[in-house]
Amino acid sequence: MSELVIKGLHVSIAGKEILQGVNLKLKTGEIHAIMGPNGTGKSTLSESIMGNPAYTVTQGSVTLDGKNLLDMTVDERARAGLFLAMQYPAEIPGITNAEFIHGAINARRPEDDALPMRDFLKELYENMQFLDMKLEMSQRYLNHGFSGGEKKRNEILQMMMIKPKFAVLDEIDSGLDIDALKVVSRGINKMRGKDFGALMITHYQRLLDYVVPDVVHVMMGGRVVAEGGPELAKRLETEGYSKLRDELGLKIELTDEDV
Amino acid sequence: MEEALWFKGIQAKAAALAPTLKRPVFDKIDSRDWDLELGARDQTDPELAIPPEFAHQQLLQVGSLTRSWNLREDLRAQGVIVCDWAEALEKHGDLLQKYFGQAVPIDENRLTAEHAASINNGILVYVPKNVAVKEPITVAYLQDASKKQDFVEHVLLIADVNSSVSYMESLATIGAEANTASIVVEVIARAGSQVKYAGIDRLGQKTTAYIKRVAKISQDAKVDWALGMLSDGKILGDFDSNLIGTGSKADMNIIAITIGDQIQGLNTVVNNYGRKSVGHILQHGVILQRSSLIFDGIGHVMKGAKGADAQQENRVLMLSRAARGDANPILLIDDNDVFAGHAASVGRVDEQQLYYLMSRGIPKKTAERLVIRGFLGPVLTRVPSADVRQRLFAMVERKLIDGQDME
Repeated sequence: MSELVIKGLHVSIAGKEILQGVNLKLKTGEIHAIMGPNGTGKSTLSESIMGNPAYTVTQGSVTLDGKNLLDMTVDERARAGLFLAMQYPAEIPGITNAEFIHGAINARRPEDDALPMRDFLKELYENMQFLDMKLEMSQRYLNHGFSGGEKKRNEILQMMMIKPKFAVLDEIDSGLDIDALKVVSRGINKMRGKDFGALMITHYQRLLDYVVPDVVHVMMGGRVVAEGGPELAKRLETEGYSKLRDELGLKIELTDEDV
Repeated sequence: MEEALWFKGIQAKAAALAPTLKRPVFDKIDSRDWDLELGARDQTDPELAIPPEFAHQQLLQVGSLTRSWNLREDLRAQGVIVCDWAEALEKHGDLLQKYFGQAVPIDENRLTAEHAASINNGILVYVPKNVAVKEPITVAYLQDASKKQDFVEHVLLIADVNSSVSYMESLATIGAEANTASIVVEVIARAGSQVKYAGIDRLGQKTTAYIKRVAKISQDAKVDWALGMLSDGKILGDFDSNLIGTGSKADMNIIAITIGDQIQGLNTVVNNYGRKSVGHILQHGVILQRSSLIFDGIGHVMKGAKGADAQQENRVLMLSRAARGDANPILLIDDNDVFAGHAASVGRVDEQQLYYLMSRGIPKKTAERLVIRGFLGPVLTRVPSADVRQRLFAMVERKLIDGQDME
């Protein structure tokens, strides 16, 4: 079993403190969800765990099986077992999707033991079929000209091929119609097992109907303010975030409160 | 050599002219103190060891010596000529006398005159009328920098009426002595001919070079250039397509990479003289560390070139804060009835692209090369021959790795 532990994490972007002491513990075999209103630091959390250079960690630690991820470069974190399905995956012309995923897998293997192309393609095509992706997408340039839904599926495809210990899924449900949401959920559920843990970041309960979490965390104002089971997500869906905030006596302004 | 007296005359004339002429101008590059003067005595080592990658060329020249050369029998039977400069002077004086200096006049500038005065080896390629050479002609010119000496190489490639030929040249340096190189390539594409010219340069770090490649293109003829400017020294490159005939075409696809503290200036020019002539320039450059790369793209449509088309795209990508680069498109239009367009950009590597690639476990240097590959992709895909594309790609990768290893 592996363990991802976030302790007292403070993160700033452009001098402004967004995370104000986040604590979380995640084990392989578990799926956690983080919910929270807009502008509360959910994406900041995922990006700073991965090491996006735009974010500065000012305090706290993130460890994977005791090793401090914050001391590692982005690629080292990935090879240590971390994966981030990004909200806005970059488009990179000139390198095909298949080449890229093959390269990512080989980056985890010894130089003289690359995954044979045939074995790789067999697995890639199986997973693409499982995600209802057209096989020709493997030969297109990485995310280049992909629709929003195609990019999300492609993130899940990469996760299935790379098989990380822990995946952080940053709003993997945003911009998806119900059919695509079901496909993406199917991918996550397929990964579910004793060697895989996930942290799903979402605004909405809907994703959690398809991927039922073991633990639900609620973030507000740069902190985790509540924890519970799947029923907590259902309650938020009916009552909204402001009710929970008021119950907890928090003085936090919700970004979209007046909308 | 009795036959070469006329040529000795030209060389003497060039030597006399040189001091009266000016060096060519390269925008934003101060090359005044570069050692481009020729005059270091040739003393090519006939035993110099050749890197194995150059072993399988049809023609291999090292410094002033021709080391090996095998023209296939079927080409010989069709009247195709591929020979070194000495043999060209001896046996094909008529061709040389007719075409030498047609694309690059000896008095164009001081460096072309000095070049003509000092040629110490070269090659003549002649493809007769209506002959199609199917397999590419591959040649390598290796500079012997094991000693102090100049490297002065002249290429004259003539595609006669309605012929077609594909030619691939590699330039490289053996040894690490500081030397001057002067390379002039003349391509004569006669009416209806098709020439695919690929040049991949990897001259050494201590080499200072003037490289001039010019095509003179007649009616309905087409020249496709694929150039990899991957040398490591100080380089001035001057590439021109002169579209003389009606319906003549030139496609100039150029990739340049600079590393360390090298400086490379490239002037790429298309001159549209002919009606309905079409000239496209596509050049992408990548600049690492403290190096400099300046691209000038010049499209000049002359008066009377009705219906001419002049397009160009010049882009550079910088990988470090200390890199210096520029991409200047210049369009000079002297006729009304033309199509012309240009695009240019100078940018830095996209941090979010690197982050994305690294987040999948790909190390930073590999990620950088992938982003660069994406940037160079549009030029690579325009290179018509798969062989050239592969070789260019491999050489780009190698130069990038060498550059990254300097960090």
